Parts: sequence; structure tokens; C-alpha cells
Amino acid sequence: MITALASIFTTAIGPAAFAGVAWGILGGALPGISPSITMALLLPFTYGMDPTVAIVLLASTYVGAEYGGSIPAILIRTPGTNAAAATVIDGYAMKEQGKAGEALGISLYSGFVGGLFGLIVLVLLTKPLSRLALAFTPTSYFALGVLGLSVIASVSGDSLIKGLMAGLLGLMIATVGTDPVTGLNRFTFGSPELLSGIPPILVMVGLFAIGELLAQSGEPGWQKADSASTRIRFPSPAMWRRLAKPQAIGSVMGTIEGIMPGGGGTISAFLAYNEARRWSHHQEEFGHGSPEGIAAPEAANNTVACTALVPMLSLGIPSSNSSAVLLSGFLMHGLMPGPMLFVKNPEVVNGLYAGLLAANLAMVILGYLIMTPCLWLVNRPKPYLMAFIYAFVVSGVYSIETSLFHIGLALGFGALGYAMRYFKVPFLPMVLGVVLGFMVESNYRRALALSGGDHLAFIRDPISGVLLGLATIFVIGSVVRHARERRPHNPQHSAP
Amino acid sequence: MDRTAKADNIHSDLVFGTATLALSAGYYLMAGRIPESQLADAIGPQGLPRTYALMLAALALVMIFRSLTVRLKPDTTSDSSVRGIRLQPDSSPRGIRLQPDSRSPIPRVAGMLAIGIIYIVVVPWLGYLLSLAGLIFATTYYQGGAVNRQVALVALSGAVFCWALFVLLMGIAQPPGFWPSLL
Repeated sequence: MITALASIFTTAIGPAAFAGVAWGILGGALPGISPSITMALLLPFTYGMDPTVAIVLLASTYVGAEYGGSIPAILIRTPGTNAAAATVIDGYAMKEQGKAGEALGISLYSGFVGGLFGLIVLVLLTKPLSRLALAFTPTSYFALGVLGLSVIASVSGDSLIKGLMAGLLGLMIATVGTDPVTGLNRFTFGSPELLSGIPPILVMVGLFAIGELLAQSGEPGWQKADSASTRIRFPSPAMWRRLAKPQAIGSVMGTIEGIMPGGGGTISAFLAYNEARRWSHHQEEFGHGSPEGIAAPEAANNTVACTALVPMLSLGIPSSNSSAVLLSGFLMHGLMPGPMLFVKNPEVVNGLYAGLLAANLAMVILGYLIMTPCLWLVNRPKPYLMAFIYAFVVSGVYSIETSLFHIGLALGFGALGYAMRYFKVPFLPMVLGVVLGFMVESNYRRALALSGGDHLAFIRDPISGVLLGLATIFVIGSVVRHARERRPHNPQHSAP
Repeated sequence: MDRTAKADNIHSDLVFGTATLALSAGYYLMAGRIPESQLADAIGPQGLPRTYALMLAALALVMIFRSLTVRLKPDTTSDSSVRGIRLQPDSSPRGIRLQPDSRSPIPRVAGMLAIGIIYIVVVPWLGYLLSLAGLIFATTYYQGGAVNRQVALVALSGAVFCWALFVLLMGIAQPPGFWPSLL
């Protein structure tokens, strides 16, 4: 661990953390550009980098974007990210009272506290899970993939059917290319570019970045921020003491929601806001510019930026869009998150821990320094911003394998992303299908070959049995929850 | 949810269900064309793709059936002031928002995609710098910007900035176009 910490200063991890946070704050500050989109835009640029540096750059972007989202939330009442929606309530009220600087300072400080808490949880939880590594067989890997796919049930949003359909479409995309057992070509249409399959990065960039660009097309621009009177002011010692409780609440909520599949920063921020209000001695201030109303959600969503990596790093299962993009970064560099990552590439894991620590420190420094360029960027005309994002996307995608075909594929997935937004089909199930499809199919067939076609081998193997049992419980629980939510509301019960 | 929005949702579910049913049928047929191999295991290269297609088709049929059988209750609470306004698709990560239904989204999305496709077609000939300047200019114009010298200058500066970033700083080759052949 000491070596990992030293690597902040001796390798490119430190500069990567600073660069990632800077990019994340800028991206997060742009309304409509979520952390996952900010990360997806950066993904192609990391192709030629050292894997550890690339992963730190992407993870730091996530950290920076979670703070960046609070800037327009406080200044122009428009959350830069979904998770910053709860910050709007009291952040903008404080701005209206002429306390925008204090509100931004509370957001930054609380984000730092939440981020550090999340990092400690990440380090403590991922290591024990990784100890299972050596006992994994193809049977267990298949079961792990199924457990990952069972997450689809809980991340399907309002429609379980649409989530399942998106998951299947993702699995279908994963079958394109060379068959893992026989080496035969499947769904390649004679194209040599498709022989190695469709890289998950193109799916991510298409669905998240280009899809959002298409969706934003024609949407009205956002309000301009007043840059003249905005200077960050850090909280006084008395305020520090007052903020300790909401920050603790936010950190706990962020931990629970970050680890749970489908939880994410938005839910945790609103839960933290509600709990902070419930436990506050100043409940009457909530909604009218309460510092605690900013501290709790900001601590929560920055905690999630670290804790969302627990299932992704230890089991290879992304629990949110942002961790799915980060997973794509791992895959692009030939790293497979999951149990064996800790055995085969411990330097990447330790480098990531060190990078996240540096990123949280960088967030405090850059959060203060980058305010002016950030406001300048938010105030640019929207057509220019969209044109430059488009230019970055096409240039970045071409850079991956210097292939124009890849730009075409990314545009195709962009159109698909737009269609999915239009039909209200969730993205994450498709992403899970794409990234887990190969793992599920190859290990399923390998396990059956080893067991002589005996399907009971998946239950006899203790790890596989437990994982499949968990997946079954998970799916049943989600189906029951969906059924309850769809049940018609009885007006007699709802009457006051 | 008002009655108009609910009707829109049902319609879009029907369209989505039909499209995925057609897709699953096409995918199933293509899976059947994957040649047999002597190295094949019990499942074979066609096994899981066919299973996926059948599962998708079953879900699509459920969605179509539900769309066709759901009945809209008469809406007694709808406010006449919201007529003529429909819920836009989930176009922003912040969710659904109300916007006047003045312009179909398909042409503007198709236009943005066309700009990208034209870029792919012209970049091998025109080269990265000019093509990217064209892409920035066209996108800015298409998104409501003016056609003037300032936009052209911003487009050219943006292209030079990207070229410096990718080619000079990161050392990533971008298509040079026909220009080197003139030298």
C-alpha cells in the first residue's frame, strides 16, 4: 500500500488523477452531460496509455464529475448530473440569499469527506471478496456472469420487460465475431473488422455520448451563470461541526446505494437529503437554504463514486452506468475485473486506490481553481459545445484502431441509444449483456464440456451453487417489487 | 400520467415490440446459417444465439399483446391547457420534460447522423483538418448557429486544436487526405 501511495508522486498516476478530476468537473458542470458521458468521451483517449494510468484517469473523472454537477445546480438551478438534483433544493436557495460561495464550499468539502469515506469502504470490502479468486472454475465464472445478468432485473427502471429485452439485445451484440469454442465466424457479414467482435467501448461511446448528443439536438440551451460574484468559501470550524452529521448520513447512504446494483448517486443523494432532514435540529431550514441540505447529498454522491467500484472490481459486475464505462476501460486494456484481477494485476488495483486518494485531494484543489474556466464553459453557446463534443467523439473513436468503420459503428450505436431513449428502454441492461455475454457463453460451454454435458454440475459446485442461488433470489425479489409497483392503487386506502 | 401521454407510451411500446420481434426473427434466421463444425460442442455456435432470439421474440410478443389489450380509461382530470403538448421522449438524463410538439425529432437526429456519415465519407480525401472543420461548422449551423465568418473561424480553430491534440501531442495518426500526394 505504501508503494501504491508513493506511486502518486513517482508515476503518472498523480497527474492522471488531477487531469481526470479537471475533465470530470468540466463535464459534470455541463447540464445534460452525466459522469458516464464525460467518462465515455475520454475513453478513446486512454487507448495508448499505461493501463493503470488510464484506469485512474477514468475513475478520477467520475470523482470530478460528481462534484462538477453541483456547480450549475447551485448557480443556475440546473443539476449538471442526475445525482446533483437534490443539491438544487438548498444550493440554489443559498445562492438566492447571496451565499453561492458558501454553498459551493460546502459541496466541495462534503464531497471530499464522502469520497474519502467511500475509498476506505472500497479498500476494506474488495480485498475479502477477491480471496475467492483461486477457487473459481469455468462453472463458477458462468454463475458469476449469471449473477451479473440478474442485476438487469433491478436496473430495468419502470419496465422489467424492456430491461430484459435490452439485456438480450446486449447478449446478441456480444455474439458477433469469432465463436469462443469452434472459431467459426458469427454475424460478421464478411467484414474483417467484425471478426474480433464489437468492442464494448464503441457501444458505450455510441449509447452514452453520441446518443445524448442526438437527444440534446434541438433542445433549448441552459441558463447563463453569473460569474462575477462567485468565489468558493470553505466552511468555518463551527459549520464543520454542524455538517458532520449530514455528511455521515450521506456517506452511509452512499455506501449502501453504491454497492447495491442499480442504486447509484441519484437515489443515495435523495435518501441522504431526507434522512439528514429527519435527524436535523434545523429542519425548518431545509428547502430554504440549509447547509445540511447540501452536505448530505453531496457526501452521498461522492461516496458512490468509490463504493460503486466494489462490485465492479471484485466481481466484474458494473452496478451503474459510470462503473460500466470504467469496466469498458478495463476491458480495452486487456484487464478483466473480477476475482482474478487481484491475482494477475494487483498493481492496477493498488494504483487505482492511490489514484482515487489523489483524485479526492485534487478535487479540493481544482474545485477551487477551476471555477472560472468552468463558468466560462457553461456560458458558451450550446451549438459550439455540441459541435466540439461531436468533433472529440469522432476523433477519439478513430484513434482507438485508426478505423473509420469504428466511427460508423459508434454512430450506429448512437442512433440505437437515441431510439432507446425514445422508447424509454434502459441502457444498463444492454451494457451488462455486452460486457458479460462472452464470459457467460464461453464458460457455460467450457463447463459443460468438462462435465460431459451435465447441467447439475452448476449446482454441485459450491461457489456456482451459491452464486446461482443469489441470482435466483435477486431476480425473484426484483420481479415481486415490480409486480407490487404495478399493482393498481386503491383509492380507498390512499384517501386521507 | 394524462391520457395523451399514456396513449403515446402504448403506441411506442407497440412499435418497439414489433421492431424487436422482427429483429429476433432475422437474428434467428442468421444464427441458423452459421455453418456446422466438427469441433462443435453439445451447444454449438448456434445454440445460445438461437436461445437469445427465441427469448427476445417471446418478450416482444408479451409487449405487443399488452399494448394491444390495455384499455385507456376516460381521463376526467386532464387539463385542457396541456392539450397540444406531449411528453417528449426521455431526451435528457434528468427525465421527461414537457415541450411543445412543434418539430419531429427524427429529421434533426437524422441530420446530426448525416453530418457524421458525411465526415466518414469525405475524410479519406479531404483529410482530417478540413473535414473536422466542416463537421464543426455544419453541427454549429445545424444546432442553430449562424453562417458567418466567426463560426467559420471557430470551426477552423477547433479543427487545428484537435489536430494539435491528437496528432502532435498524442501522436495518433489521423487521415491526411490527398494533400500529401500534391507535394
